[in-house]
Order: sequence, then C-alpha cells, then structure tokens
Amino acid sequence: MENASRDEPAALELKGVDVAYHGDIRILRGLSLQARRGLITGVIGPNGAGKSTALRALYGLLKPVAGDVLVDGRRVTGMPPWKFIEHGIALVPQHRSLFNELSVEDNLRLACWSFRGDRARVGEALERAYAQFPMLRERRRDMAGAMSGGQQRFLELGRALALRPRVLLLDEPTAMIAPRISADIYAFIRGLPAQGITVLLVDQNVRQCVQVCDHLYVLELGQNKVDGSARAFREDAGLRELIAEWVDYRIDT
Amino acid sequence: MGLLILNGLANGLIVGGIYALVGVSLTLLYGVLRVVNFAHGEFVIAGSFLAFALFSGLGVPPLLALPVAAIAFFAAGWALYYVLIPRLALSDDPELMSFLMFYGVSIAAAALMLLLFGADSRSIDDTFSPVSVPLGPIYVSTARLVALGITAVLSLALAWFLFRTLPGKALRAAIMNREAIQIMGVDIVRLSAFAFALATALAGVTGVLIALVFPAFNPFSGAEYTIIAFIVVVLGGLGNPMGALLAGVIYGLAEQMATVFLPQAMAQIVGFAILIGTIFFRPSGILGTRSRR
Repeated sequence: MENASRDEPAALELKGVDVAYHGDIRILRGLSLQARRGLITGVIGPNGAGKSTALRALYGLLKPVAGDVLVDGRRVTGMPPWKFIEHGIALVPQHRSLFNELSVEDNLRLACWSFRGDRARVGEALERAYAQFPMLRERRRDMAGAMSGGQQRFLELGRALALRPRVLLLDEPTAMIAPRISADIYAFIRGLPAQGITVLLVDQNVRQCVQVCDHLYVLELGQNKVDGSARAFREDAGLRELIAEWVDYRIDT
Repeated sequence: MGLLILNGLANGLIVGGIYALVGVSLTLLYGVLRVVNFAHGEFVIAGSFLAFALFSGLGVPPLLALPVAAIAFFAAGWALYYVLIPRLALSDDPELMSFLMFYGVSIAAAALMLLLFGADSRSIDDTFSPVSVPLGPIYVSTARLVALGITAVLSLALAWFLFRTLPGKALRAAIMNREAIQIMGVDIVRLSAFAFALATALAGVTGVLIALVFPAFNPFSGAEYTIIAFIVVVLGGLGNPMGALLAGVIYGLAEQMATVFLPQAMAQIVGFAILIGTIFFRPSGILGTRSRR
C-alpha cells in the first residue's frame, strides 16, 4: 500500500511554501509536503513548528508569499477556501468550526451550500452523516453548541464526510477530547482510506499519529525536518532518537 | 398625566420601530463584514431625501417610494461594497481602518446631499386622510401608524429570512463563525456583498419611513442616526439582529418616556446613559449571554 501511488501526482501538495505575518515574520520557510492518494499522511512537530499554518496555507486560508499549492499536480495557489469543496477537499480545523446557534441539521445543510438547490443530493448527504454517526440523527434538532465536545467533533467529522470528499484535512482532531472518544476518532480515521479518502492529519499526539499514519512529516520552526514512512519511524533507531529529541516523545518498538 | 404616558408609549413604539430598523441593518453589516459603518446615518437620510425628491419632483407618494428606495439602495450598496471593501483587506487591521474609511464616506455623503438639496430642513407634506386616528383616549397621526405597520412587517420579514431560509442562516452563520462558513463552500465575498446591499437597502427604506414619522430632516441629520444606531447595536449585542430589533424598541420607549418625565435637555442624556449602562453591566447586550469570537 505504501508504494501504491508514488508516480502519480499527490492529491494535495505544498511546494517550497513561505508564509509570513505582518510582512516580515516568516512562519513557514520553504515548506514542502505531499498527501499521497489513498494514504494517511501525518504532520507532527513541536508547538509553534507551523503545523496548523501549513494546513491553513494548503486550504487557502493563508496566502503564501512564495511557493505553490497543488491539487492533483495542478497549481491552485491563491485559490480561496470556498473553492476547495468543489475539488472534493474538506477541512476540519483545529478550533471549533460549528455554528453554535444553528441546529445540528442546519449545520449539515450549510455544508451542502454549493448544491443547495438539489434536494435529493442534500438528503443523501444528510443521510450519509447520520449513517456514519447515528447520534447526530437523534440530536438533529438541537443547537450544535448545546452538545458535548466529543459530539461536536463527530458533527464536524460527519459534516465533512457528508460531502464525499476525496481528501480530508484534519487539524488536531482529538485536541481536548476525552481519551475514550479519541480512540473512536482514530479508529474512524484509520477507516477512511478504505472509503477512498486521502487523509492529511496534523497532530500533537505523536504516539497515535505514528500508529495511524502511513507517512510522516516532522516540522521544526516552519521548515521540513525529516519525513519518511511510518514503518521507518518505528524501525529506524536514528529516526526514533530524532523524534524523541524533537517532539519529546519516544516511539515504542 | 395618564394621557401623556399613553402618548409617550405610542410614540415610543413608533420611534422605536425606526430605531430598531436603523440598528438591525448596522448590526448585520458589522456582524457579517466586521466593518464599522460610520456613514450609516447618512445612508438613512439619503433614503429620506430620495423620498423627498420623488415626492416634490414627480409627485410619487412616500409609500410608493419604499420599493424604489429598496431596489435603488440595494443596487447602490452592492456597487459600493466592491468599491470600498476590497481596499480594507489590504490593511493589517481592517476593522479599525473601516472606521476611518466610513467616517470619510459619511462626510462625503453629507456634503453630496448638501450640494443636491441645500442646507434647509425638508419635509414631505403628503397627508393621509384622516390626518390622525383615535387610539382609545389618544390621537396618533395616520402617517406614524402606517410607518409602525411597515416597520413591523419589515422586522417580521427579516426575522423570517434570517431564521427560516438557508441564505439567511448562512448570514447568521457568517456572524457566528466567519472562517467556518468559507470552509462550507460559501463565497464570503459574495455573501458579504449581499449583506452590505441588504443593510443599505434597509437603511434607505428606513429613511423613507423617517420622512413619514419625523417632522423634518436635513443633510446633517445623518450623524444623529449613526449615534442612535450605535447605541441600539451595543444595547442589542454586537452582531445580534434580534437583539437590535428589541433594543431599538426599548431605546425608543425610553427616549419618548423621558420626554414625558424629564426636561427636554435631560431626555437626550437618556440615550447615552443607556449606552454607558449597557457597556458597564451587560457588555454583550440585553440578549447576549454567550461570548462571541
């Protein structure tokens, strides 16, 4: 599986990207990473390494001052965030992305904005989210903000999945989520490639990320530090040392 | 005294309805665009002058001026959005810059009205018959009652749009979480242009109603309505449309009751007392219990 798609263009790619705040402060410097089709690609690194910034740059929420964003090998640098759904690319950001004072169902309906006139397709999308997380159907009339943190996260995941994305970007999906629910979320992520979904996962939970991913990137100070297959990270003593040093976590063999 | 109080209540409701509309359009604009429209009062008064021009020039009665104002101001708002707002995005602090920019727009708009209509106060002498209607023991002018009815219908229509239709919910969603609505595939530029156009249309229509309710207006009346709009917006909670509607009515009632019980000069202070009190004791507004990002 790991070598299945080396030669075709990556589903999503950052190529030598610089991102700057206030003109001068470089958050990302020459960052490159690829999310290859059918795989789960992980991005790890210490706090402030630019993991979330990389994801936001990929999704058009930040404009790179240099470098390119590519979808299926085609340059889309500068494409605004609302166009990504049309390309089958969905994002679940780190901070809450729900509309708290709208119902669960309205949250799902808004995700269907680009095809809101097509009732059959909207119904299908809602059904897909409810089938994935039956709890959402029970609570569909409740305000999104009234649900627990874990339930809100499931709504965000269900909402992203309702659109049948080809690529799903996840930014720290288990941050501030109870451990038991985190395990469910990782199991869910692990099952995505089987549904034909390419995953790019930014995570601060290195232990889980190494177990769930096929390929890993380690970032440091907005630059690529190292990358390789998850197996290499588990087996190579040098890489293990590096991880232990850079993100203060020792990978179990 | 009892009659005075009843009169105060009736006038408070009528004037409050106007304030509610002035406030709700400003709060929608701020909520969706994060732009502080310092020229809102001038947009409103421009609506009054449109009604005046249609009436004195073509004999069009104010009630027919309402749809004309709605369409003309919607179009003007749409165009103005694309002229003004993209420039703000170039700034590091668009919200602060919007203050300055719209302050400039307000001066320019007032000067333009001065140029076109002169400095005299204007009024529309279109009378309804009968001129006033008995309401229990008091008489209320027919024009004011008609304005109240229109205000109520507009408020209900706006509430229906915001709470029952998907585009309305998208507008509210943009107020709740401006980044997330873009991730949903909603073109925030078009949605913002629509919000700007809608708010401007509401301002224009409110201006026509002002020509019905208040005795006179002039090119400098705008600033007064801008201040009222800000008080109503703060009282209702920033970016909270239902709060603004309620706050407008409360403010109108407070102002009119104050004229019953207090000397004229004191009555003006009531508005500012309400503003300061709100900021001190309920900073997120009368309906606001949640904090907003």
